[in-house]
Amino acid sequence: MFQKFNGVAIEHISSCVPLRRIENSFFKSLLNEKETKMFEKTVGILERRWADVNVTASDLGYHAAIEILNKNNIAKKSIKSVIFLSQTSDFKIPFTSNILQNRLGLGREILCLDINAGCAGFIQGLSTAYSIANTLKKDEKVVLIVAETLSKILSNADRSTTMLFGDGASAILISKTENETDESFFNFYSDGGKSDAIMIPDGGFRNVVTEDSFKTISDEKNNTKSRLQLAMDGPSVFDFTLREIYPSILELLEYCQHDLSEVDKFLFHQSNKFIIKQIAAKLSISEDKVPINIQDYGNTSGVSIPLLISSFRNDFSKTSKIICSGYGSGLNWGNCIIDISKTKIERIKEI
Amino acid sequence: MEKSVFLSRLQEELEFESELELNINIKDIDEWDSMAAMVLIGFVSDEFGMTLNADDIEAITTIESLIEKIGQDKFN
Repeated sequence: MFQKFNGVAIEHISSCVPLRRIENSFFKSLLNEKETKMFEKTVGILERRWADVNVTASDLGYHAAIEILNKNNIAKKSIKSVIFLSQTSDFKIPFTSNILQNRLGLGREILCLDINAGCAGFIQGLSTAYSIANTLKKDEKVVLIVAETLSKILSNADRSTTMLFGDGASAILISKTENETDESFFNFYSDGGKSDAIMIPDGGFRNVVTEDSFKTISDEKNNTKSRLQLAMDGPSVFDFTLREIYPSILELLEYCQHDLSEVDKFLFHQSNKFIIKQIAAKLSISEDKVPINIQDYGNTSGVSIPLLISSFRNDFSKTSKIICSGYGSGLNWGNCIIDISKTKIERIKEI
Repeated sequence: MEKSVFLSRLQEELEFESELELNINIKDIDEWDSMAAMVLIGFVSDEFGMTLNADDIEAITTIESLIEKIGQDKFN
């Protein structure tokens, strides 16, 4: 699907990560010194943040969002929609955005919406938020909160997942602009045939929780996890990102009749430094256009792109076009071309 | 590329302790793992402009079979 928006933009972005740093030495029972060195050289992660047991994704999201609401002195009634995008929501029922409506002190005349989406989530959520903002009056706003605590669904004895992921949240304020000539473009792709490539097998209603769900299972490489924890078919995901992402970016550029050279920055989902460099090489774009912060936060799923924007907050004032590219569970991928040169970007907050 | 140059550059990239030989099964090397596979994909992509996929990696046994996959015409 291809989309074009006129006169909608991101006003403000704020991101929040847990204080607790987990360095690679934490995993020394899984990787020896040499393997750790190789992991750092290829995947590129040096540390990640993991939330404490009693901190949920929506807690991180709340702190990111309240910063935006307080700083702008926004009339809370002007927030007409709050979207919570996460795979680690507070409860099965009710949905978390409704809880945040109350906690953030927002009005009752509001559309609350949860989206369950993975690493392409920022693009999916932003498209949804733009679509809603597009129908609102001037001065009415949408808050998109992307928040994950993937640390809570990992097996610490599975080296194919546990070292890769980190926790974090971003809040993104979206509204109409004064200028109808502000253009944004999105495109989306899905391959549901590979839905089992990244999966928690049990705990939904296809495979309800049984006693067996808690039993740990070992694979041929001696990684152990239960059926309630994240399982990932690394090679197949890796394959997919190398094959599908760069052509999808070229298709978006073709749709909006822009040249690759007009793009100031490319913000790739921070899944793996090696993959990002390979995609950049295939597009022949120079390294200075491809910011990377995976070394500090790991893969934070849908949070990774807004968190990357926060990390490089001073670098966008002179940009006019940036491309954001997300890809992951589903399998699912999507890109957008947006202008964040006028967006207020907060320093990353730690709680 | 000379096959001998290919062997030594690949070994350097993969940071393997022991020297690579054409008839060594790469999967038999202790240090072979998913990260080594990643480095291999990157090396082949940078040097030969081809992207090995997961099936290719699965099928590769000896270095000679890897050279076969890349194409004998690329080597002299």
